[in-house]
Amino acid sequence: MSSGEVSALGIDVGSTTFKLVAVDTQGSMLWHILEPSQPRLEEQARRVLQEASAKAGRELDEGSIVATGYGRNLVPAGRRVTEITCHARGVFAATGHGGTLVDIGGQDSKVIVIGSDGRVTNFVMNDKCAAGTGRFLEVAATRLELDLDELGRVALESEEEVSISSTCTVFAESEIVSQIARGHPIEQIVRGLVRSLTRRVAALARSAGISEPVMLSGGVARNPAVREFLAQELGRPVELPEHPQLMGAYGAALLAQAEK
Amino acid sequence: MNPFGFLRYHLNVNLLGKSFLRLDRMRLSRRMRRTGFWRDEHLSPPLLTSPRLKELISSHYLKGRYANGHCPVAWVTSGGPVEFLVALGYYVLYPENHGAVCGIRRSAEDLCILAEGHGYSRDICSYARTDFGAMLGGKTPVGRLPRPDLLLCCSNICQTVLLWYRVLAHHFKVPLILVETPFLYRDALPHQVEYVKHQLEAGVEQAERVAGRTLAPSALDRVARLSKEASLSWAEIMACGKQRPAPITAFDEFIHMAPIVEMRGEQFTVDYYRAMLAELSGRIERGVGALANEKKRILWDNLPIWYRMRRLSRLLAERGVAMVASTYTNAWGELAEMMDSSRPLESAARVYLHPILNRGTGHKLETIKTMAKEYQADGIILHSDRSCKPYSVGQMDQREKLAGEMGLPALLLEADHNDPRVYSDEQAENRLEAFMEVLGV
Amino acid sequence: MALSTRTFDRLNEIFYVVPMSESSGEIAVPGRIETIRAYKALGGKVAAVFPIHYPRALFRACDILPVEVWGPPGVDTCLGDAHLQAYTCPIVRAGLSFLLQGKLDLVDMIVVPHACDSLQGLGSILLDFIKPARPVLPFYVPRGEGEPARQFLVAEISRVRDELCEIGCKSPTPEEISEALAREERADAALAELLARTANLPTSDRAFYRLVRSREYLPAEEFEKAARALLVRKTEKARPGIPVLLSGIVPEPGEIFDAIASASGRVAGDDLCCSGRRLYAPGHGNDPLSRMADGLLSGPPDSTRGSSVEERIAHLSALVERHAAKGIIFYNLKFCEPELFYLPQLRQGLQAAGVRSVVIESDLGERLSDQTVTRIEAFLESVA
Repeated sequence: MSSGEVSALGIDVGSTTFKLVAVDTQGSMLWHILEPSQPRLEEQARRVLQEASAKAGRELDEGSIVATGYGRNLVPAGRRVTEITCHARGVFAATGHGGTLVDIGGQDSKVIVIGSDGRVTNFVMNDKCAAGTGRFLEVAATRLELDLDELGRVALESEEEVSISSTCTVFAESEIVSQIARGHPIEQIVRGLVRSLTRRVAALARSAGISEPVMLSGGVARNPAVREFLAQELGRPVELPEHPQLMGAYGAALLAQAEK
Repeated sequence: MNPFGFLRYHLNVNLLGKSFLRLDRMRLSRRMRRTGFWRDEHLSPPLLTSPRLKELISSHYLKGRYANGHCPVAWVTSGGPVEFLVALGYYVLYPENHGAVCGIRRSAEDLCILAEGHGYSRDICSYARTDFGAMLGGKTPVGRLPRPDLLLCCSNICQTVLLWYRVLAHHFKVPLILVETPFLYRDALPHQVEYVKHQLEAGVEQAERVAGRTLAPSALDRVARLSKEASLSWAEIMACGKQRPAPITAFDEFIHMAPIVEMRGEQFTVDYYRAMLAELSGRIERGVGALANEKKRILWDNLPIWYRMRRLSRLLAERGVAMVASTYTNAWGELAEMMDSSRPLESAARVYLHPILNRGTGHKLETIKTMAKEYQADGIILHSDRSCKPYSVGQMDQREKLAGEMGLPALLLEADHNDPRVYSDEQAENRLEAFMEVLGV
Repeated sequence: MALSTRTFDRLNEIFYVVPMSESSGEIAVPGRIETIRAYKALGGKVAAVFPIHYPRALFRACDILPVEVWGPPGVDTCLGDAHLQAYTCPIVRAGLSFLLQGKLDLVDMIVVPHACDSLQGLGSILLDFIKPARPVLPFYVPRGEGEPARQFLVAEISRVRDELCEIGCKSPTPEEISEALAREERADAALAELLARTANLPTSDRAFYRLVRSREYLPAEEFEKAARALLVRKTEKARPGIPVLLSGIVPEPGEIFDAIASASGRVAGDDLCCSGRRLYAPGHGNDPLSRMADGLLSGPPDSTRGSSVEERIAHLSALVERHAAKGIIFYNLKFCEPELFYLPQLRQGLQAAGVRSVVIESDLGERLSDQTVTRIEAFLESVA
């Protein structure tokens, strides 16, 4: 990333991760801060903003900040905008085109249809059920005693998979246990889990209406198996922007920049 | 209704189809009569009439495949007053029955997913979602469904059918006949019967216009008479379940009910049930039960769980639990006496108001109590069907009263009749196990 | 006389009460309990009425005040859950729980109109199993059209009148029924004007709907007075805010209006069962029961009355145009089949006409979830 004068900041307070992106007057991403979300969000926000000011070399006033994400009301910011609008903005700037953005976060998943002008034309969200979110894989990883980051690699190690049919994350956990008891290899189970997640997300995407290209963002986008399986489910290639986890914060920063 | 359609129909249905299906039936019958055909220690072999049933059902869908262009086509709700349509020469299709076939053949899930992809909520009836999936181009195991020229919707089974048929009417751009049967919280009142009668009369006019012909009273009389005969036979067949051991279970009845639901008013339906009754009488004479070893008898309330029938039937049979009757199959026989084929429209107005689903929850409880006594039931499974509120609402109180006042073990089993994603084998079977322990098997 | 906040808090515990706005002087509307007590003090009876369509005038003619029960939101449903599965309508589950908690002990009867399978089940289990101390009166509204439906409805209204007399209510003369009907027709006309002029009324959406929804319990003549009092204050300029149409069964919890307002929106156009879908036109002829039936059948296209998809699309498009709305918020109750069946084709038809929409699901909780607020904000951001 280039080092230039920080013009605006975007803050995305997610339930799993806290992200901050700094942009210059051109709207280019300069640097970012990414850390796990802490229970005391206000304290975290204050601390991170101090870090950001130090990094920028000057105090950044609220007018240069747009906050988004589920904790956006707890952050000092000039404006608060939903993560839907911010993600669309960020992805549009990062890729240069619209399409269907699939964002799988820690506790929710959303599909945002972005028009050729960068505007949101439709969106659907799953925020009532953990089964279509990163949480699903988190629970599975814990149960399988694997690192969350390993899951994707492990899933791709196997050609075969064991189908996980439970609709509910909690019941999927017991299904995992019974499949292990039946002697199925971990790789096949993990593959089945990722399949289950991507099927659900693909269904959400279809209900929003697919407008090509399909793009993936959010923490779970780092999982290579998710991207591959989603492409299989939708029968189309899935693009990955350069910083999939930062799209919300980036979009927020761009909105802040545009206000100035 | 055009020469090409006529020829195509007769070639495929009457010439080719009929012969092929007949040969297939004969082949199956032969196979069934071979020794060693059936090797199951818990369940008796299927009825020897089963190949004929298969022939009738296949024939029905085959006719449907070539119906467009040959005769007018109507899509009808399962409780609909179909007699005048049959008498007018309509080919009649039942989306619910088609839904059940998809459920049994495990294609309902994909159709539901297709419908959901188009925005239909998972919280609406799984039959409707299956149907919408098929409507939107999904693959159906019956080949191809004919386009309707007319829709007939009778609300005596639930209120969502009208919503469902409005969607169909919008998609197919065809007229919708509504026969609204006001819900009977108590006994039927004259203004309710009048209302249904007027709607039937208007429906007949509308159907005549679409078909381009007039309803001949003699044709209607004939169809009504056949409908009544078949319903009476069906009632007798179910009454066989009162025998000990029961020669037939409700699981069999769920399959054999196809003719009375979707081929009412035909001579071959009457003949089929006569043959079935004869075979069942034979079993009764020889003391042959549907289960090899009947130990306990239970009732079933609500629609079947179509995608799990075989497995559930086996689970119960292995423990000697015979499902001797159900309120669901009963619905197509219990009103037979009320039919008056000499006054078809007048009596239809009354008959179609009275199915169990159009009557109060208290009436259903009384019906179950009566059935429990008549069939000497040791317990009952109430399927709490997520997709069917009219059938399921009231079950909690009904269960309480059956278990409490009547001392009848009653299991409330949560599932869905057509959507397997709502069903968990482990959970359901765990409850069934516990229930069977209470029964003492 | 303004009631103190503390009294309201206590009343809130006893019964569902519409809170007064902090900046009082906007619209002063008495709450449900207050109204019930006042009516009973005058010697009248009170009926708790479930949604949706029913003949108000008939009850008033018998000196019975109908007070509607739309939930209320935030009720603990554990008592009702013993009788109703979780997939039943939230209004029905809440209403039954409310009854079982004794909160409807103030009323003299319970009326259950027929609008869907959940309400059908409620009426039936009340009559057959729960058997509350108060009489339960079902009422069937036809979904059909034309003369047979009208005749049926007239007979059904007569049946209810006879039933009311049987349970000891006053037997009204035809003149009394006509008078009561005339009052309801005037109140309906006032409601229609309110909904037509939302944009030009100096009030917030939340306060506006407090007034609109008082139609659910205020005597017609009092509602008319309150409505007219606001209508005279109409302004030339439209209120600020991105205009959106609100469609659904009932706008609960009231926070939905706050969420729309904070996202710079305002409600322009009403397709709600509790209000806009009950804009009845006056009936014809002199026979009051016949007029009443005409009126009930004259409401706008409504999924709960099984209107065709075409009619619903046309109606919504017209509303959008009339109010220059930028989009539609379909605010759905979970498990509400009448709404869910129509939505896909409705939204498709509207989209073809360039009308954007969003679907938001509610379970009639006390609070609006963050997720719901986010959806409303995101939608308004996208149509701004």
